[in-house]
Amino acid sequence: MSLAAEAFVSQIAAAEPWPENATLYQPLREDQILLSDCASSLAVQAYLRMCNLPVHVSCRSNAEYMSPSGKVPFVHVGNQVVSELGPIVQFTKAKGHSLSDGLDDVQRAEMKAYMELVNNMLLTAEISRPRYSSPYSWPLNQILAYQKQWEVRRKMNAIGWAGKSLEQVYEDVSQCCQALSQRLGTQPYFFNKQPTELDALVFGHLFTILTTRLTSDELGEKIKSYSNLLAFCRRIEQSYFEDSQAGSSSRGYSKGPSLF
Amino acid sequence: MGTVHARSMDPLPMHGRDMGVHPDDMIEVQEAEHETKQEVLENKDVVVQHVNIEGLGRTKEDLLGYEISEVFDAKNLIDVMKKSHIARQKLLRLGIFKEVEVVIDTSDGTVCAHKRADALPNGLDVTFEVTEMKRLTGSYNTMVGNNEGSMVLGVKLPNVFGRAEKLTFQFSYGTKETSYGLSFFKPQPGNFERNLTLNLYKVTGQFPWSSLKETDRGVSTELNFPLWRTNHTLKWEGVWRELGCLARSASFAVREESGHTLKSALSHTMSIDNRNSAIFPKKGALLRINQELAGYTGGDASFLKEDFELQVNRRLVWDSVLSASLWGGCLLPIGGRPSSIADRFYLGGPTSVRGFGMYSIGPQSEGDYLGGEAYWAGGLHLYTPLPFRPGRGGFGDLFRTHFFLNAGNLCNLNYGEGPRAHLQRLAECVRWSYGAGIVLRLGNIARLELNYCIPMGVQSGDRICDGVQFGAGIRFL
Repeated sequence: MSLAAEAFVSQIAAAEPWPENATLYQPLREDQILLSDCASSLAVQAYLRMCNLPVHVSCRSNAEYMSPSGKVPFVHVGNQVVSELGPIVQFTKAKGHSLSDGLDDVQRAEMKAYMELVNNMLLTAEISRPRYSSPYSWPLNQILAYQKQWEVRRKMNAIGWAGKSLEQVYEDVSQCCQALSQRLGTQPYFFNKQPTELDALVFGHLFTILTTRLTSDELGEKIKSYSNLLAFCRRIEQSYFEDSQAGSSSRGYSKGPSLF
Repeated sequence: MGTVHARSMDPLPMHGRDMGVHPDDMIEVQEAEHETKQEVLENKDVVVQHVNIEGLGRTKEDLLGYEISEVFDAKNLIDVMKKSHIARQKLLRLGIFKEVEVVIDTSDGTVCAHKRADALPNGLDVTFEVTEMKRLTGSYNTMVGNNEGSMVLGVKLPNVFGRAEKLTFQFSYGTKETSYGLSFFKPQPGNFERNLTLNLYKVTGQFPWSSLKETDRGVSTELNFPLWRTNHTLKWEGVWRELGCLARSASFAVREESGHTLKSALSHTMSIDNRNSAIFPKKGALLRINQELAGYTGGDASFLKEDFELQVNRRLVWDSVLSASLWGGCLLPIGGRPSSIADRFYLGGPTSVRGFGMYSIGPQSEGDYLGGEAYWAGGLHLYTPLPFRPGRGGFGDLFRTHFFLNAGNLCNLNYGEGPRAHLQRLAECVRWSYGAGIVLRLGNIARLELNYCIPMGVQSGDRICDGVQFGAGIRFL
C-alpha cells in the first residue's frame, strides 16, 4: 500500500475502539524464542498494560513469518496488524491512548534517545543458536538455524559489534545500565510520576535478562549491581503483572519466572 | 538377383516422453523398386543374417540390441521392411539419435568389397545408419510477462553415459524471482517405458487469488513402469515450502499460514489412457488415480490425499465428438494438525469450472480463497469442427467449436460426521455453468479457449467471470 493509503487506513482504524479480542503473537516460549524477541514482547505487553488495554497472548511457531515486517511481537487488532513497539505506540496514539502526552518536546527527544540506547546495547547482547531450531523437523531445523545465525551476524556487523569479545559486550551493557540508573535516580519512573513507553521498554529488556535461565549470570549480576534498576523492575512487575495473575483467568500473560 | 536398397522415409517425429505419435500419422511402408525382375516379393523367403548399426560414438551397443532384435524374426522381404521400420522408430524414441536411416542389402555383399563365406543365397543384411545427438545442447530465452522479465537458460546433455540417460538443467533469473531445476533421467536398457527420474528444483509461484506466494525447494525421485495395460508411477518427494503473503492486505487466515514447512511424501499414480490423442481425442478414455501419503517419511505435513480424473470420448455424426469428464479428490489430515493451504484443492477458472474466476470457488476469507479439502467437478462437452469448415485440411483443423456444461463443488469436511454427511455436503450448493466457445490446439500439449460462459448456482463469496472468458493451459475439465 502507498503511504497515503496507509495513512487513510490508519485514520479509519483510529475511529474504532480497542476490541476485546486483540491478540499479541510471539514465538513459542519454550524452545523457540530468542532473548531479544522475549524482551521485545514483554516490553509491548508492559506498555499495553500501562495503557490499560486488554490483549491475549498467543504463541505460534511461525509468528516471525506472520508479522508484516518480519519482527516479533505483533498485535492483531480488529483487522489491523501492527508489529514492533514503535508502530504499536503510534497505533494506540491514533486510537487516543498515549502515555507520553504529558511530556514536552525536550523530554520526548530524551526519551527517544534512551530508547535507542537500550535498543542498540541490550537488544543484541545475546544470541543463542540451538534455541531456534526445535519446532521444525530435520533437516529444516538445521537450515533455518544457520539462516537465523547468519542474519544476526550480519546485523551485528552493520552496527559494528562483530568484533566485540564477551568482555566488551558486558562492558557496554554495564555502561548502558549506568546511564539508565543515573537518569532514573530515585524517581519511580523515568519521567517522574507517570510511566511512559521508555519504562515499558527498559522493563522488558532488564526483566528478561534477569530472569532468563539460558545465559550465564554475568549479565544479570551487572544489572543487579544497580539497585534502583532492580527496584524499578520489581515495582512494574508488581503494579502491572501481579494483579492479573491473581484476578481474571481469561487474560493470559506470558512472563514465566518472577523476580520474587 | 539385383541389389535391393530399401531406404527409409523422411524422419518422423520422435516418440517418447515429450511428444506423442499418433497411429493416424504413421506412414505406410513404401514398396521397394525392383530393378531387373518382377517377383512377388511376399512369397520369397529370406533370412536376415546380420543387423548392423553404424555411426555409434558414445552409445553402448548392449542398449540397442533390444531394440533391433525383432528384425531377425522376419521371414519375407515385406516383413523385413516393416520390422526395420518399427526398429527405427524404437531407436528414435530413445531420444539419443538425430537421424536413423535403414539400408537393407543382400548378404552376397555386392555393395561391400568382398564376398562373405557364410552368405546364403537368400540372406539379407540390415544396417541402421545413425547420427548421434551432440553431447551438449543449450538454449537461451528471455520472457516478459506479468510485470516481470526473466532470462531462461537451458542445458541438455542427451545420452550422458551411453545408455540413453539424459541430464537437463534449466535456470530462470527474473526481476522478481529466481528458479532452477536439474533433472536426470535413466531408462532401463531394453525397456524404455520403465525409467527412473531424479529431480532437484526450486520454484516460486504467486497466487493472487489467495494473496499467497510460495517458494518450493525440493528433491524428488520417480519410477515409471507399465503393468499390463496400465502405467504406474511411484514417487518420493521432499519439499521445503516457504509461504508468505503477497500483499500487506492479505487476510489474517492467509497470514496465519505463512512460514516454513517440510513435506516428505510418497505418491502413486495409476493411469490408463487409450485415447487416440491427448488434445481433441475422438475416441477412447482416460482414467488416472493418484494418491499421496505425507508425514510417514519425515516432515511436518501429514496427510493422505486422493484424487482421480476420468474422461470418456465418443464420436457422433458429422465429425462431432461428445466428451464427458469427471474429477474429484479428498484430503484427509492425519494426526490432528490442520491442513496447509498449499495442499488443499482449488476449483474454478477457465481450466476447471468455466464462468468463475481463477480458483475462486469455495471457502474464502476477506476475498482470499483458501481452498478446500474435498471437491468434485464434472464437464460435458460437444466438440464440432468450425462452422462452414474454413481452412479445412490445414489451419482450420486446429480449431474446434465446443458447447459445454460444467459443474462442481468444493468444501471443507469436518471429520467425525461420517461419509454420508460428507457426500451430502458436496451435493448441496453445486456451482454450475454452461456456454460455448472456440478451442485452439497448440502443438500436442496445450490448448487455448475463448468461451462465452453463463455461471449459475453462485454462492456468496464466489467470484464469477460471466461473459467472455479466455483460458490457456494443459489440463482442462
